[in-house]
Amino acid sequence: MVYDTEKVRNIGISAHIDSGKTTLTERILFYTKRIYAIHDVKGKDGIGATMDSMELEKERGITIASAATYCEWKGHEINIIDTPGHVDFTIEVERSLRVLDGAILVLCAVGGVQSQSITVDQQMKRYKVPCVAFINKCDRSGSNPFRVIDQLKEKLGHNAVAMQIPIGLEADLTGVVDLVSMKALYFDGDNGENVRVEDIPENLLAESMNRREELIDTVSMYSDELTDAVLEEKKITEELIIDAVRKGTLTREMTPVFMGSAYKNKGIQPLLNAVTKFLPCPADVENEALDMDNNETPVMLESDPQKPVVALAFKLEEGQYGQLTYIRVYQGTIAKGSTIYNVRNGRKIKVGRLVRMHADKMEDIEKIPAGYIGALFGIDCASGDTFATPGLNLSMTSMFVPAPVISLSIVPKDNKARINMSKALGRFTKEDPTFKTYVDDETNDTIIQGMGELHLEVYVERMRREYDAEVITSRPRVAYRETITRMAEFNYIHKKQTGGAGQYGRVAGYMEPVTEEDFIFENKIVGGKIPTQFISSCEKGFRLCLAKGPKMEFPVTGVKVVINDGASHAVDSSEMAFQAAARGAFLEGYAKAKAVIHEPIMKVVVETPTEFQGAAMSLLNQRRGMIVGSQDEGQQSVIEANVPLAEMFGFSTVLRSSTQGKAQFTMELASYRQVPQSIAEELLKKAESEKKSAA
Amino acid sequence: MLNIDLILHNPFKIMGYDSEDIIPENGFGAVLARAGVGKTAFLVQLALRALLKNKNVLHISLNDPVNKVSLWYKEVFNNLAKQYSIKPSSQIWEAMLPHRFIMTFKAEGFSVPKLEERMTDLSEQNIFSPQVVIIDGFPFDESVRESLSDLKAIARKLSLHVWFAVRTHRHEEPASDGMPVSFSNVSDLFDVAIQLQPEGKEIHVLSLKGGRSTTGFPELRLDPSTMLIKNTSSSPLQ
Repeated sequence: MVYDTEKVRNIGISAHIDSGKTTLTERILFYTKRIYAIHDVKGKDGIGATMDSMELEKERGITIASAATYCEWKGHEINIIDTPGHVDFTIEVERSLRVLDGAILVLCAVGGVQSQSITVDQQMKRYKVPCVAFINKCDRSGSNPFRVIDQLKEKLGHNAVAMQIPIGLEADLTGVVDLVSMKALYFDGDNGENVRVEDIPENLLAESMNRREELIDTVSMYSDELTDAVLEEKKITEELIIDAVRKGTLTREMTPVFMGSAYKNKGIQPLLNAVTKFLPCPADVENEALDMDNNETPVMLESDPQKPVVALAFKLEEGQYGQLTYIRVYQGTIAKGSTIYNVRNGRKIKVGRLVRMHADKMEDIEKIPAGYIGALFGIDCASGDTFATPGLNLSMTSMFVPAPVISLSIVPKDNKARINMSKALGRFTKEDPTFKTYVDDETNDTIIQGMGELHLEVYVERMRREYDAEVITSRPRVAYRETITRMAEFNYIHKKQTGGAGQYGRVAGYMEPVTEEDFIFENKIVGGKIPTQFISSCEKGFRLCLAKGPKMEFPVTGVKVVINDGASHAVDSSEMAFQAAARGAFLEGYAKAKAVIHEPIMKVVVETPTEFQGAAMSLLNQRRGMIVGSQDEGQQSVIEANVPLAEMFGFSTVLRSSTQGKAQFTMELASYRQVPQSIAEELLKKAESEKKSAA
Repeated sequence: MLNIDLILHNPFKIMGYDSEDIIPENGFGAVLARAGVGKTAFLVQLALRALLKNKNVLHISLNDPVNKVSLWYKEVFNNLAKQYSIKPSSQIWEAMLPHRFIMTFKAEGFSVPKLEERMTDLSEQNIFSPQVVIIDGFPFDESVRESLSDLKAIARKLSLHVWFAVRTHRHEEPASDGMPVSFSNVSDLFDVAIQLQPEGKEIHVLSLKGGRSTTGFPELRLDPSTMLIKNTSSSPLQ
């Protein structure tokens, strides 16, 4: 196997749910000879398309897990990475978008730019992924690729330029005219595998000339040589145009547009040519890692196979033979038998079997050099882990994992579900660091925690579908916190004499609010008033009180406890006695320290077509949201607001219905802030009624 | 005097701008300077003064995204809080934020009718009704008079105080009235014009219109390290 990074393309295929992404991928795999028969998505043969792995994705219109598959085209190696398109899976989205260098944006020739096209396009924009567009379904009645190009310009703000025009449309679609070579391309054979190149039909000659003019006009911006050739009326070679289009595409200043029909096997091979000609190779893309020894300062990586290794595990899959870890190598080479280490936990790993994946089949390989994607077998790691040469402390992702903001309890329906649920939870927590689970000591319920309502909803669905674990869920709960607002003193004596050894301990001091830490304990005892061996028991006693706050049983944060006085008894003082004294002291101080409830405030960013800006703002406003600002970006507008998480339940549905499904939002934890008095009272009432009903 | 009052104290009195708000209702004010001298920092300080008085400030930027404008406020506020030892500054900051709204446009996509539409949207839905408007990055080109006249009409309708950042150029000779050329032909629409003039390591604050005309430099400066307005003849801003 020859390794040449310039011939590698790591691409994603992004599309609206029904624009034919799976069919297109299937055709690409067929023409690149990775599969030998074509199965349709909703095929009668009952096999289904190769990449179509998750039923849930189709049903909800979102891609949850990303499959990576490999193919070859004209000496180029193409890795196709499936991209999740939904906003709630921020970590997953970020991971897969980091791994790909370019993308094909698939649009429907009939439906045009739909709301989900807007979503995926915005993600591409956010991660600066260059793309080519493919207008699919030109064989359908009502198709109009040039209307879609106009929408690409108007709705998405792309500098979209047609690289082809269709020969016939709707049922008469027979091929495309390539505006660079000025030839007509037809697709013969049972599956369109034979590309026949002919002269442009007479009736399309004038239009082809005009469109080519437009193309050259647009792309000459990106190439001085092409501009010179145009001005000096020299011959404009194909290379000049291709070079200019590539430059414009790589900088995201233009989007070349191709067209055809994946279902009717038309226009796929030219699209593959475009992927190799216009989308970047790994060396064209700048990748950054974070230096863990240097406060996570960004460091540029070089796509050089000789340098020390830096690789990212971007997806895990449970296979027949254990865990399969998909990785992308950014720098250096991972070879069979070499030693790498996991930057997150410092564990050394001897590389065993290396494979390259094609959907669910695999092929053994010897090494994975920089720029390539492959998979490791039998390695225990989590998704998002970075592997590096020992001694190199670089990480591809920040080690900062935000604390979960929402939780719900799940109860398995039967014993089989219980076993499967535990398997599923083990897997999910490994895949996604923002998804956490634990068993509540009091209720014995399994609690799952995550970053949003939909985040948890999808995991519950995946449990059911992938692991056959039926669970009953409770209503989601917001992770409120308690804290104190003023300094308060305590002086508590714990004294018990009920036969046997007595218990005695006195703890005095004060507590005060802090912002920089969740809990600080300071010992200012002098003269041995509390013997040194019991100080840690005091700290433990205070710490035990933090898990469930006295006010409403929410975790307590932002408290500094200082002990400066106390007393002990030669016989009756013990670790247990001082722990109990500290607990009593905490409760005494806390009652005087004006405790309040804090709630998670989310930074919500809504991206919406400008005409719905007012509606979106009004929705945020109704939810106790504070709008920070609005950013007008031509057709689109971005609204930034801080909204309490408790008010965000069901927001995606409401937002969709008020904006004809055209707006989308992202949400991340911004801060914790005190809940308004009226809401605190409501919470208190609710907690009391829950307590009563539990009793 | 409470520390917070120190910030609220009108620093421009010594320049002859006696009114508390410096510019009258429906009035226009301009802060003129070359690129990078501190127009935004200066305007943000004016905005913070208004915010501390519980006035609603709409900050419109034609250059920077919301995040960046937001960062300006945070920076300048932190510097102010440090300078005047304001504690707990986070509570004051939080209380102030609901009175601020940032609106950004791509310069080429900005138009006065569009702005009016957005503002109407905000006030009709009871989301935000500005009292002070800051416009940063407004192009003072050939067609500026027409846009300014339209803005004036909005200012009258909504009783606004409007501040503009006006970018001047090093190579430009001043017009006959002493104003920078790009500003001179619309200066009649403005009640106040303040120029930031770098001299060596100092940035002087000069009154071009509306204040007392001064000979020589007044004592008001911008501290180049914090970009805060300071009065060199006395303790800060007094």
